[in-house]
Amino acid sequence: MTGGTALSTAYDGVSYTRGGAVDRRDVGALVQSAADGDAAAWKALVEGLGPLVWSVARAHRLSDADAHEVYQTAWFRFAQHLGRIREPEKAGSWLASTARNESLKVLKAARRWTPTDDPQLLDRVSEDRTPEESVLDSEEAAAQSERVRWLWQEFEELGERCRQLLRVLIASPPPSYQEVSAALGIAVGSIGPMRQRCLRRLRARLEARGAA
Amino acid sequence: MSGTHDGGTDRDGPGDGFDDSLLEEELRQAAGILDPVPAELDRLAVEAFALRDLDAGLAELTFDSLVDALPIRGETDPARMLTFRAGEVSLDVEVSAEGLFGQVMPPQPARIEVLSGLRPARSLTADEMGRFTGETPPSGPFALRLRAGGEVVVTEWLRA
Repeated sequence: MTGGTALSTAYDGVSYTRGGAVDRRDVGALVQSAADGDAAAWKALVEGLGPLVWSVARAHRLSDADAHEVYQTAWFRFAQHLGRIREPEKAGSWLASTARNESLKVLKAARRWTPTDDPQLLDRVSEDRTPEESVLDSEEAAAQSERVRWLWQEFEELGERCRQLLRVLIASPPPSYQEVSAALGIAVGSIGPMRQRCLRRLRARLEARGAA
Repeated sequence: MSGTHDGGTDRDGPGDGFDDSLLEEELRQAAGILDPVPAELDRLAVEAFALRDLDAGLAELTFDSLVDALPIRGETDPARMLTFRAGEVSLDVEVSAEGLFGQVMPPQPARIEVLSGLRPARSLTADEMGRFTGETPPSGPFALRLRAGGEVVVTEWLRA
């Protein structure tokens, strides 16, 4: 995989996005263009890869404030490294692993201040997040939003490994398995089987609730 | 490259039904509604394009006590020790609740800017021994921009 192959991708006057999502094959070319000073290419990268970066912070159960800082740090550092990245087409993995490292540092710093043996207690859970508030309010969406709320609740209560894997997998646009691997430090080959098991576990929970 | 995929086709292994992909997609939509990237963060990331700092050499983080040092027994809130290096110049920085303390190596006078994202930078001066002090610790992601001699060096962004 070299960045050069994608360089011929025409971006002038052509939408970077397909269905609102940056095609992963365009990432290398967008990075090159952004490094050359193209602000629109940078914006397309933010749109295409921002949700992945956010999902990594969320997968690590950071508080809102910490997740905000991790997200910013990853993008600020990416801007610094823009012209220096060796494999531009892997920018998603670069960002995902930067966000992971920063998230782990947040957890580690919290651990030093909180002497405890229980790793579950070390995760700082977001306090001020009230998903219900952000659900669309219109009547039209009410029935659907109830289903969305159920789904999210069951997802949040999945075991930690499943919740973490799925949170990154459901970034939009869907990340590649390379990116998921970089985001969570797990082998690419284990992602498919874990994903299947976790989705089935989630479905079983929904069925138990009568919401499948 | 095997093992990668670009959307979902090779996710559908044996027994991986249509149902799994549907559920994943439904969950993706739920995340878009209940846990999207906050709008202000999206804006900050777009504006971060201005932080490329093309004129400065990049000083990479080579030591971070949070990762590279053993915890000190009894210290509940130890200072964070960081070392950045760009070629011959290195920068030792200590961040604690008391503020920011640092030293430029090799020792030399320097102008130092403490960058905080897109907010205005704070200026510090390093003495002839290369030492500098900031009264308040950086809040949120920060970077140090150093002018010494004819050189400009900027540290990798870091969350303090």
